This record gives sequence, structure tokens and C-alpha cells, in this order.
Amino acid sequence: MEAVAEHIQEELNVQTVFTIPIFGGIGVAESVVVTWIIMGVLILVSILLTRGFKTRNISKRQAAVELCVTKLLGLVESMLGEEGAQYAGYLTTVLLYIGVANIIGIFGFKSPTKDLNVTLALALMSIVLVQAAAIRAKGVKGWLKGFTQPIAVVTPFNILDLITRPLSLCMRLFGNVLGAFVIMKLIEQVLPVVLPAVFSLYFDLFDGLLQAYVFVFLTSLYIKEAIEE
Amino acid sequence: MSSLIAIGAGIAVFGALGAGIGIGIATGKAVEAVARQPEADGKIMKNLILGCALAEATAIYGFVIAIMIIMFLK
Repeated sequence: MEAVAEHIQEELNVQTVFTIPIFGGIGVAESVVVTWIIMGVLILVSILLTRGFKTRNISKRQAAVELCVTKLLGLVESMLGEEGAQYAGYLTTVLLYIGVANIIGIFGFKSPTKDLNVTLALALMSIVLVQAAAIRAKGVKGWLKGFTQPIAVVTPFNILDLITRPLSLCMRLFGNVLGAFVIMKLIEQVLPVVLPAVFSLYFDLFDGLLQAYVFVFLTSLYIKEAIEE
Repeated sequence: MSSLIAIGAGIAVFGALGAGIGIGIATGKAVEAVARQPEADGKIMKNLILGCALAEATAIYGFVIAIMIIMFLK
């Protein structure tokens, strides 16, 4: 049991892969490198898939890509509502990134969302987007006034929301990925052959994609709430 | 000391109690809704899965705290 605990703890630590030798050395963590890999793959796939698109006589590949993109954008736009539809591009990108990041563990990489810093950064980006959307829609005055809605007594709670919302977004994603990872490691200790493959379908594929969806759903819910009058 | 840490981690996982009850109630209501309106099956299923993922978060918080207690209090 000691060995298992030590092994898991070793896997949980985020190692520094290399150090950039400027400003006294900037450490580049493993999650950053895996994020670069995900970025590279996503960009490469988009470039390869969208090459040679035409307006008429489209190929089967173009039809399939257009269907996928329309479905994904439609999914996010339906959550954002009409007014927030302009933010669908960013949220779809986040959905793709978290989705790939959660299931990249299958290919032997360490999932970047297992690093608390990554999920915290994503959550902070979300909350900044929500506040920026509120300012854009209602102006600075309307945004500040929004904190006293519906009655003045709830103002402290509304301000507290600024902290608890990103915290819960960040902890939910991190905890789910970490939990799935620990459970998978324990299952591998019990029986390393068929069993992990079956459970990996649920924990890595289903739960990973579901959490990406939940993250985007909650962010779009906050945006929708922030920009409505 | 280590037994106290184990007890603490066990108490932290008690948060899973709420998630279990919540998801149980949600699933029960969803089954009722499907029985009443079988044609709304897809919509109900989507909302149920989303609600379950949100309710599950409390259990996950407890789990994270338990792991942290074990890892950092040695």
C-alpha cells in the first residue's frame, strides 16, 4: 500500500521539464508542454481539414467539417442565448481544449487539467470574460449597479460570487480529473488487464467530455445572467 | 497521528452523502417525468446528466480535501 501511495503522489507532482534561462530562469511545467502539444495538434488538424474549401461543389470532407463546426457552435450558442452568441467562438475553443486535455491521458500523456494551475487559469479567464461581457453590455455604471440587484442586502454575496464562482469551476474540473486518475491507478493495481479498459471508457472518455461540457455550460450560464437586463 | 489523519480523511469524504441523496432524488424525479411524458425523453436525459454532474461536485470537493489531508499532513 505504501508503494501505491508513493507512486500516485509521484504522478501527481507536476515536474518542471526545462527552464528558460532569462529573468533568473522561468520553469516550464509538464502541463504547459502537453498544452503546447494539444495546441499543435488542434491547429494542425484545423489547417489540414480546412484546406481547399470551395463555395460550390463541396467535397465530402468539407461537408463533414462544416457539419461538425455548425453543431458545436450551435450547441454553445443555444446555451448562451441570442445576445451572448458573439462569445460562442471562445467558449467552443475552450470546450475543444478541455475535451482533448481530459482524454489525452489515454494516449499516455499527463492530462494538463490534472494541474491545479491550468484549471485555475481557465476559471480566471472565464470570470474575466463574464465581467467584461457585463461591462460591454451594460456599461461600467450598469455593471456596478448589477451588484446591488435584486436588493441592496445581497451585495456582499454578489461580491463573494466573484471569488466562489471561479473557485468552484476550477475545483470541479481539477477534482474530477484527479479523482478519475487516482481511481484508474488503483484499478490498475488490482487487475492490470481487461478491467482498466472498461473503466477508462467511463472515467476518461465519458466523464472527461462531460466535465468539459459542464465547464462551458456554467460559464455561458454566468455570461447569460450577466448580460441580461 | 496517522490514525487521526485517516479519520479526518474519512470525515471529509462524508460530503459524498449529499451527492448520493441528491442524485438519487434527481434520478427518481427524472424517471417519473419520463413515465409521464415519454416523448420528452431526450431533453429530460440531458438535464439529468447535467444536474448529476453538478451535484457530483460536492462529492468531488470532499474527495479533493481527503486526498489533500492524506498527502500534506504526513
